[in-house]
Amino acid sequence: MRVLKNEYGDWMVLELRKGAIFVDELRNVSIKIGEVAEEEEEWAPMGPTPFPQIETLRNWDFILLKRYKPFYAPYCDMCCLCTMGKCDLTENKRGACGINLEAQTGRIVAIAVAIGTACHTGHARHMLHDIEHVTGKKLEEIPVDLGPEIAEVAPLTQLITGIKPKTLADLERALKYVEEQITQVMDSIHTGQEGSYLDYESKALHLGMMDALGKEIADIAQIVAFNLPKGESNQPLIDVGMGTLDRNKAIVLVIGHHAPPAINIADYIEQNKLNDEVELAGVCCTAHDVSRYWPKAKIAGSLGRQLKVVRSGLADVIVIDEQCIRADILYHAGKLGIPVICTNSKAMHGLPDMTKRDPKEVIKYLLDGNPGVVVLDPLKVGEIAVEVARARRKKRGEIKPVLSEEQFMNYAKSCTQCGNCTIACPQKIRVGDLMEAAEKGDRKPLEEKWDVCITCGRCEQVCPKKIPIIDMFNFAAWNRILNEKGKVRRGRGPVRDSEIRNVGAPIVLGTIPGVIAIVGCSNYPNGTKDAYTIMNEFASRNYIVVTTGCMAMDAGLYKDEEGKTVYEKYKDDFNGGCVANLGSCVSNAHIHGAAIKVARIFAMRNIRANFEEIADYILNRVGACGVAWGAMSQKAASIATGVNRLGIPVVVGPHGSKYRRAFLGKPYNDEDWMVYDVRSGQKVRIEPAPQDLLVAAETVEEAIPLIAKLCFRPNDTDRGRSIKLTHYIDLSLKYLGRMPDDWHLYVRTESDLPLAKREELLKELEDKHGWKIDWSRKKILEGPIRPYHAGFNPTCVERLFKEGFSSLAKK
Amino acid sequence: MPRTIEQPFDAANIPGPKMAMLLEKGKPVAMAIKKAKHPLLVVGPDVTPAIIERVKKFAEKGLTVVATGNAITKLSQAGINAKYSVLHELTQFLLDPNWKGFDGKGNYDLVLMIGNIYYHGSQMLAAIKNFAPHIRAIAIDRYYHPNASMSFGNLWKKEEEYLALLDEILNEL
Repeated sequence: MRVLKNEYGDWMVLELRKGAIFVDELRNVSIKIGEVAEEEEEWAPMGPTPFPQIETLRNWDFILLKRYKPFYAPYCDMCCLCTMGKCDLTENKRGACGINLEAQTGRIVAIAVAIGTACHTGHARHMLHDIEHVTGKKLEEIPVDLGPEIAEVAPLTQLITGIKPKTLADLERALKYVEEQITQVMDSIHTGQEGSYLDYESKALHLGMMDALGKEIADIAQIVAFNLPKGESNQPLIDVGMGTLDRNKAIVLVIGHHAPPAINIADYIEQNKLNDEVELAGVCCTAHDVSRYWPKAKIAGSLGRQLKVVRSGLADVIVIDEQCIRADILYHAGKLGIPVICTNSKAMHGLPDMTKRDPKEVIKYLLDGNPGVVVLDPLKVGEIAVEVARARRKKRGEIKPVLSEEQFMNYAKSCTQCGNCTIACPQKIRVGDLMEAAEKGDRKPLEEKWDVCITCGRCEQVCPKKIPIIDMFNFAAWNRILNEKGKVRRGRGPVRDSEIRNVGAPIVLGTIPGVIAIVGCSNYPNGTKDAYTIMNEFASRNYIVVTTGCMAMDAGLYKDEEGKTVYEKYKDDFNGGCVANLGSCVSNAHIHGAAIKVARIFAMRNIRANFEEIADYILNRVGACGVAWGAMSQKAASIATGVNRLGIPVVVGPHGSKYRRAFLGKPYNDEDWMVYDVRSGQKVRIEPAPQDLLVAAETVEEAIPLIAKLCFRPNDTDRGRSIKLTHYIDLSLKYLGRMPDDWHLYVRTESDLPLAKREELLKELEDKHGWKIDWSRKKILEGPIRPYHAGFNPTCVERLFKEGFSSLAKK
Repeated sequence: MPRTIEQPFDAANIPGPKMAMLLEKGKPVAMAIKKAKHPLLVVGPDVTPAIIERVKKFAEKGLTVVATGNAITKLSQAGINAKYSVLHELTQFLLDPNWKGFDGKGNYDLVLMIGNIYYHGSQMLAAIKNFAPHIRAIAIDRYYHPNASMSFGNLWKKEEEYLALLDEILNEL
């Protein structure tokens, strides 16, 4: 008999082997068996780092941080966190506790990542609670079964914890571990703890990894509990855009990320045959997730559209759950008398909790004109929301712009051109110019900027004339609103193992030039069309384009000359030239999962509790790049930090530099780009591939070639490299009108050069960069950073170089 | 504390006790350029044709010009022989005293910024202010940049006044 502690030490395992236990004469003793733990199936040899703690993967982090030195652009030069302050840390001074600005900025980054991670993890925890409540089943009764084409069901869970989950109870074990890690890192944030910026970054990277795990748990849980798509491609098209909402119906608007209440609304509509009478639409990820359950649900818009939708008056009732909800939702909904139902304890907005009341009583309360209620039981939300919407629909007439023509003109005339709105505007929109044009009868400028405006509402608060600027935008763009009708492919969830079998080799060899993950919030610098432009550009060039969240929604608003959205133009198989919508923010975990599965399925690496090796594999071999062009939230910070730890770079928009920290390489520093070549046993200086791990581009024209550049990997074959170079050069010429300055750094041999331009490029290498060329054989004799060898086998990790990789291939 | 302050173009962009000295004349900028051993002019995409015209004159007076974002297409069309860089990457290089610069002569001691996306440019100036003691950064934009060491004020509604300041610098060079 053995007594064991589990990995996180909070429960005991009594392991009974062959034998017998005799219990004699026991009185007044109760024996309670909380859980019968089954022995973990030996699905692969246990790797070196099951359930890694803060320090476990620090070595890997420091490898990354040496090459991609954290770049700090503080948003605030002070620290105001304790009562010894405020402390002025300008020019890297130390404050009263001893922390300097570098470490303080790293600390703030760690806090932001912790917030994002807590959000996804809290979401996962809430999901498990709701699943037990809604389905009436225990977690151990719900199998993690993603269908016959997915054996690697939870790649992140497998990679990080070593658990291959069979039921949701197994995922809950992983979730407890994530919760502990968040607590430990937040402990380190306290005054008088960590003092090194590098260690703060390591902690942030640790939490980024936890964030990925939390997302995987949340999404797999909802997939298996609510029977969402399990990675099948050719998903149906979902309506997206404010114009797709049927204004003749009662409209229930859901906002947030946690779908069970919205799912209950969908069930209520179906069960009561109210499809012809009630419309269910959403803003942000709840919209994605409810449409994964019920494809009749519509996506009203992304996060950047939230106030445009609310202030348009389209909704008869608003149901919020968690994350990315306006903190002033009651103010804006209240202006139009729209009742708000809060369904999640994380966002209750001071409203009365009527969860235990009879739904009929709650409906009456809301119809009596009260601003809103809290209803925390998802099983009650459907009836309340739908019946309130139906009753309100009967009373309201046609939906029109909130302002009348006369009001619009009067407000335009009242603008004093003070400029307060522009100075308050995060997008720096010259609102005064728009008002001046409107006053003169030209509403086009207002309509055009309607899309650039992210509807933060700061302008309204500083206007001395109290002009309702959001209503002015909506009035001018009313026709655009009514005609905003696009399509998004329903979120398909994970990437299937069978798909990885097809594309694993071309990705690693480079003949599929990259995997572009277009994700995150919608605070774009210049409007929603950038999402379409980026997606269309890379899909048309045979990159694998995967997408989630708000960017997936916004891209679907635009059509090509043939009237097709990117979702109608490209298939959603995970293959070159695809646009595959995987789902909501938590579905981002399947992007990590796909990269991990390339290592597992194509390269036969052991992914069990083996994070460092697999991240090293991905960094050196998998040409993937994340794009979060409108990144806004702390969740976006944790998502990016999570993929960074896995060796995948991310490009953000210019607002992204406000995250304060980037990971930027210095291509001129030889020592930063040394790797071990397992084939030759040598240390080799490689090209800067990828040059950065986290970088902000200033404009979309700059971002597109940069994304292509960040798909180079040291392990590219010559054929793959020539394809990647072709796109990098092409995109630079197309968007920046010039050859990139650094293209030559990625040339190792003449066969790396695009065939159609080989001679021309050899000439440029000779003339501009002084390389020696043998023109009789058209061969490069001297010049590249390193020669090309097909068997090049790079690793950044000395341990792996000495001990070898962990392979599952049969010898 | 600056001798004279201005409201940042992003109202809440108050970084801390050290904010840029407000420049109401072009001459101090010209003096700084003359005094600098290795100056660099960073030009972002938020530039008008009239500003590009002045950038061309700066280039003609021997300043190294680097375009960021898609400003390079505008500058190339104007016949300006500019370098190109991603601003985020460029700023990382600027923080490194060992960077050899675009011409191999070493890092820069004076960085002038104009036309960068305001909030992004502001962040880059914050990085230089706090972590590049070897560089002095001056914003010659139409907006007050608190993170520069010196900055013009908010002149985005006073284009003529702003262009006159740029001309004043050019005339002094």
